[in-house]
Amino acid sequence: MNNFWTTVAHTAGRRIKSKAFVWSTLTMVLLIILLTNLPSIIDKFSGDEGDNPAVAVVDMTESVGGIAEMLASTAEGMFHYESYPDNQLDAALEAARKDEYDYVLALSGDIENLQAAFYGSGTDFTVSMDVNHDVQRVKEALVTNELGFNEEELAVIYSPISFNELPLSENGEVQTEETYFQAYWMVYALVFIIYMVVLTFGSMIATEVATEKSSRVMELIVSSINPVTQMFGKIIGIGLAGMINLLAIAGAAIIGSYISGEEFIKNIFSEMVDISLIVYALLLIILGYFVYGGVAAMLGALVSRAEEVNQAIQPLVFLAVIALFISVVGLNTPDTIFIQVLSYVPFFTPQLLFLRIGMGTVPTWEMIVIFAILIVSAILINLVAARIYKGGVLMYGKFSFKDGIKQAFALTKKEN
Amino acid sequence: MTLVIDNLKKKFDKHVAVDGISLTVEKGTMFGLLGANGAGKTTSFRMILGLLDPTEGTVTWNGERLSYKRTKLIGYLPEERGLFPKLTVKEQLIYLMKLKGMNKIDIIKEMRFWLDRFQVPEYENKKIEELSKGNQQKIQFMAAVLHKPELLILDEPFSGLDPVNSDMLKKAVLDLQQTGTTIVFSSHQMRNVEELCEDLIMLKQGKAVLQGNLREIKRSYGMKSIRIRADYELDFLRSVDGVLNLDISKDDAAIKVENEQVAETIFQAIAEKGFVRKFEVEEPSLHDIFIDKAGGEADE
Repeated sequence: MNNFWTTVAHTAGRRIKSKAFVWSTLTMVLLIILLTNLPSIIDKFSGDEGDNPAVAVVDMTESVGGIAEMLASTAEGMFHYESYPDNQLDAALEAARKDEYDYVLALSGDIENLQAAFYGSGTDFTVSMDVNHDVQRVKEALVTNELGFNEEELAVIYSPISFNELPLSENGEVQTEETYFQAYWMVYALVFIIYMVVLTFGSMIATEVATEKSSRVMELIVSSINPVTQMFGKIIGIGLAGMINLLAIAGAAIIGSYISGEEFIKNIFSEMVDISLIVYALLLIILGYFVYGGVAAMLGALVSRAEEVNQAIQPLVFLAVIALFISVVGLNTPDTIFIQVLSYVPFFTPQLLFLRIGMGTVPTWEMIVIFAILIVSAILINLVAARIYKGGVLMYGKFSFKDGIKQAFALTKKEN
Repeated sequence: MTLVIDNLKKKFDKHVAVDGISLTVEKGTMFGLLGANGAGKTTSFRMILGLLDPTEGTVTWNGERLSYKRTKLIGYLPEERGLFPKLTVKEQLIYLMKLKGMNKIDIIKEMRFWLDRFQVPEYENKKIEELSKGNQQKIQFMAAVLHKPELLILDEPFSGLDPVNSDMLKKAVLDLQQTGTTIVFSSHQMRNVEELCEDLIMLKQGKAVLQGNLREIKRSYGMKSIRIRADYELDFLRSVDGVLNLDISKDDAAIKVENEQVAETIFQAIAEKGFVRKFEVEEPSLHDIFIDKAGGEADE
């Protein structure tokens, strides 16, 4: 056990103290603080701070008097509407080109068939949607006014209905828009985190093992410590270093969001994050790390030189990429049979099960079964990996996946 | 405290690497394991260390199996040298020796002692990759002995060393033996074995072809070598029965013969021919025995 912790400390310590680790972590931290503050930084550099975009309204309608004035008088809203002298569209466009206005809105037709033409840079469809909305509201106000409704009647027309969603099954849950988006982003983030963890830490483990093999220090080490203990020491050690890296990044994201003061980002970190989702995420990251880490250590032990690591971990990388693709596609269809079935496959479980938990509902029994499969397979994979690792660390020669495994098994065979 | 190996066997698939060797090494002695490349030396060492599980047979130290629980009792210098190239001498000795159960203070104390002894105290904070091969080997040797093991296994300890460093290491090994360390080592350089070992085993294709006390082996070994210096051609001796090899150089001839009987025949043959300046029957060198026993078709 002592040797296990010595290896953990050695592996994690070497990594954390290495310049590459310090610099990459620092860079990530700075980058994330910068990114979370990007909107306010951009605002600082663009001169017209906080001003609503100006829209010139050209009224070319027949007998719809005062629509431009009514738009201009709407105080609250995202735009600053300005009534432009009637029918002078060309002049208004010219003015907009000279940057006197940001947009030009031309209204034509009559009240029954109101037509709006919106002139902009062509890249702001959200703006046009908002303007459309404003025009619609003003038109409704004009019409109801004309029909002579009093305020009470108007209130009745516009009072919102109360709309409740209820689950069909007992004890079921209904996702609100808020929880949906919360889950959506968390799943998205986790799928990427797992992908990153698998790729970077997996190849770190494999590289570390292969480096010790190629420098031939491995034989000396495994004469003092059981290779299996050493393998787990390495997996845990690199996991710890990785945790520190992730914590630094998470910390940076939180600090960055507080500096920025952006409501949206703050919301993600405070109200929107569901604790149970985070617990599931951590659990799945850790289990996924063991599944992929065990295989990575095994693959690292099968090669003789550090340069061969990339070739050796290719299959693992493919699995991770496939899992990433499936989960990105599955984000919109979490309840399909395809996703449900694949979530039982240990190499896909971390991403797909989390996707199902986050985006839909997974019955408790299914959750227990999937977690059991994941845990059992993590243990089995590591047992097999340990066996191959034990033989593999003493093996030198050209890398071949099939022969390597065969040879490693032969080396660790007791009876013949 | 004895190392006892009993009928040790290791099979890889169909290939038999070690085929039933048995030996006993008493405490405080130095034991030589000889053999050509691929004879099974390293596999035997790995089984002694527990890196490989024997297919058959047992290895015990002091009556008990060697396992990872007793790793601090053993020191090992692998044939393929290797340390962490990017770590300093101090950093890696601290890690490697911690695995042997030492604490940091003792490690640093012992490390300084050995660095001084090898006359390289300035290497403490140098990275391994900055050291020459010979100096790396000194550090590697330190990694095998810093924790004062009871049993020291040295796989080709002197290969690749210049004569000065080779002697320095030899002296260190002898001193360790004096303090009671049991040492098993393999070597291709027969002179080193002759100088250091009392007992030895010679492997060929995993089997022991020769085993026992070095002096007795030499004395009882049938083959003899003869050195002759005469004023005439000695080539005719090639046709004498029992002559294994005739090597004529500028001023003398070295002849290997099957036994002393043949030596006598040769003596008579040349005495008839004329004046003999030198005639000497020597015990065979270990080198000759090695080539005789371990050489041949088994040599790779």
